[in-house]
Amino acid sequence: MATTTATFTLNSSDVTGHPFTMTQTATLTKAGGSTGLDEFTGITSRTYAAAQTDTVIVADSIYSVAASSHKVYVRNTSTGTSDYILVELEGNVIIGRLYPGDWMFIPYGGTLDVQVTTIATGVTIEYGVFSQSAAS
Amino acid sequence: MATTTATISISSADITGDPLNLTKTATLTKAGTDTGLDQFTGVTTVVYAAAQTATNIVPNGTYTDTTVSHKVYIKNSATGTSDFVTVELGGSNTLMGRLYPGDWCFFPYDGTLDVDIDTSAAGMKVEYAVLSQSVAS
Repeated sequence: MATTTATFTLNSSDVTGHPFTMTQTATLTKAGGSTGLDEFTGITSRTYAAAQTDTVIVADSIYSVAASSHKVYVRNTSTGTSDYILVELEGNVIIGRLYPGDWMFIPYGGTLDVQVTTIATGVTIEYGVFSQSAAS
Repeated sequence: MATTTATISISSADITGDPLNLTKTATLTKAGTDTGLDQFTGVTTVVYAAAQTATNIVPNGTYTDTTVSHKVYIKNSATGTSDFVTVELGGSNTLMGRLYPGDWCFFPYDGTLDVDIDTSAAGMKVEYAVLSQSVAS
């Protein structure tokens, strides 16, 4: 089985009164086991010619539900500072806004679509899903 | 203003036919600006004596909302392989997903919904933090 790791590093010299650095590494496994996730969509890159409203980037019907350990990565690859991507779960459940350069990495239960809304033309995005082929 | 960066590195030698090495760094700024986020909760570590249901870890009432660029970090610091943390959004506890031991997540937060967790067992350790902006842009 595949071995995939995801490492997160948060660093700031001045957001608190002292320098702060944190690094965490997760080995991405199927739910409840030590077997690695076995599916990956690849990283999709898109440039939206027009502003988007509730555009599905992760369709829940593709993924197994219940005991699963899928992960979703999304990044706003636009430049500048203003053109955000609003990320939601199906039903307009707002997760938050990714401003240019921001990324997110979340667990995904596979029960709701992941959707994006953009406010400008030419917004660029990349996203990918790491998933398990069958629920554990 | 503070300068805070968040870096993700995903690597795999074998999840596809070619090695995957992805590294991206974001400088965390207030919405629509290049001014850094100015608030940080610190990293909270909690060991829950009992299994939790819809325990609020990020209360929306604490944060400015909508035109914001807050970020939330959560990690399941439990050991083993089976004890999971369920991450949920809002009063209806909409499922985001499960964090198994060692898993972490980092996502934008617009301050309109609570972030809640369930834990599947007693004695689980969870850590979490919020980076936020003091005033909406």
